Amino acid sequence: MATLSNEGTDERSQALIAGIEAIQPKYILELPSSNLKAIIQHFLEAPGVTTFPVPREEEGVGILAGLVLAGQRATMIIQDNGIGNMLTAIATFPQAYHIPMLIVVSRRGGLGDYNSMIHNISEHVEKLLNAANLRYFQLDGRSPIELWASTVVRAYEFAQITHRPIILLVNLMGG
Amino acid sequence: MKPENQLQRPDALRIIHEAFPDQPVVVTLGGTVREMIATCGRRSNHLYILDSMGLVVPIALGLALGFDNDPSVERVVVVEGDGSLLMGFSVLSTIGLMRPKKLIVIVLDNGVYLTTGGQPSAAGSTDFVAAARACGMAGQLAEAPESLKASLVAGRTGDGPLLIRVPVGTVSPSTNFFLEDPVVLCEDFRRWLNCHRQGRPFSSQG
Repeated sequence: MATLSNEGTDERSQALIAGIEAIQPKYILELPSSNLKAIIQHFLEAPGVTTFPVPREEEGVGILAGLVLAGQRATMIIQDNGIGNMLTAIATFPQAYHIPMLIVVSRRGGLGDYNSMIHNISEHVEKLLNAANLRYFQLDGRSPIELWASTVVRAYEFAQITHRPIILLVNLMGG
Repeated sequence: MKPENQLQRPDALRIIHEAFPDQPVVVTLGGTVREMIATCGRRSNHLYILDSMGLVVPIALGLALGFDNDPSVERVVVVEGDGSLLMGFSVLSTIGLMRPKKLIVIVLDNGVYLTTGGQPSAAGSTDFVAAARACGMAGQLAEAPESLKASLVAGRTGDGPLLIRVPVGTVSPSTNFFLEDPVVLCEDFRRWLNCHRQGRPFSSQG
C-alpha cells in the first residue's frame, strides 16, 4: 500500500489559524474532525475566544446566525462530509434572511485520504454548493501558502459585504 | 385536564407576548407565526422563522449567547413547537453545555404537526421537561394560563436556561398566509434590536 502523504498539513493549519485569528472571532463553533485537530485545539486553548462543539452542522448554522444577529464576530469550522446536513438550514435561514456568516470547511475524499467511503459525498461538494447557489472560495495546493490567512479575512469580509453565507473550502490533506 | 379547559395555542401566544413585549422573541414556523400575528399583531421584537424547522431554538441560543453580557437585553425568549424541537433535539445538550442564563425556551406542545394536517409527533412519549433537566436546564410544566404566567414572571427574574412545556390544544383559528419577504422580517428585527440596545424608541431607520 502506498504511504499516504500529509506533507504541508501543519503549514496549512498554521496559516488557517492565523487567518481565523485575524478576523477576531469571539465565538468559534466546531464539529471535530481529525484534519481539524490542531486548529480546534489551538482555539480551545486560545484566550478571548469561546470555542464549543455543535453536534450537527445545521444546529451550528442556527447558533451562528443568532450570534451574528446579536452583533458578535463568529465563525464555524466543519468538515465537508457534513455539507449535505446543513443545506436546508442555510438556504431557509441565513441565505433567505440575508445574514452574513463565514463557514470554514475542510476537504476530504481526495488524494491523500485514508477513508474508502467518504469521497462519495466529499467529491461532490462543489456541485452541491453550486446547486444551492452558495458562494464558495477554495484554498488548496494550488493556492500560495502566503495567501491563505488573508483569504480567510477576505472571505469573512465578503460575507459581510454581500449579506450572505460564504463557504471557504480548505484542503489540509496535501491535495 | 378536561379538553374544554385546555389552553389553546393562540391564548398561550397572547400570554407570552404580554409577558415579554420588550424583549427579543423568536417565533417558530408557519402556523404559529400566523397565529402570533393574528393574536398580537406584527411586532418588530418578534423574529419570525418561516420555514427553518429544527433551527428555531438554535437561533435563539445564538442570540442568548451573544447577549449574555449585554445588560440592555434581559431575556431571549423562543416559542417552539414539539415537532420542530424534536427535529433539532440535540440543541438541548448544547444549551446545557453553554448555559446561556437569559434563554427561555417555551414549547407549545400539541402533540401533532398541526400545520400539515395533525399527524402525531413523538411528543406523546417524550418528557420534554425531564429531557431539559437531564441536559442541565431548568424545566417546568405550565398547563393553565395562571401557571404559564407565573413561570414567565419567574423566568424573567431567575437565571436560566429554562424550558417551559405548555400543553396546548389543537384549536387553530383560520389565518391568511404570511408572505412577507424574510429580508424585511430580519431587518425589522435588527432595527428593533439596535433601538432597544441604545434605549431609543423603535424607528424604521434603526
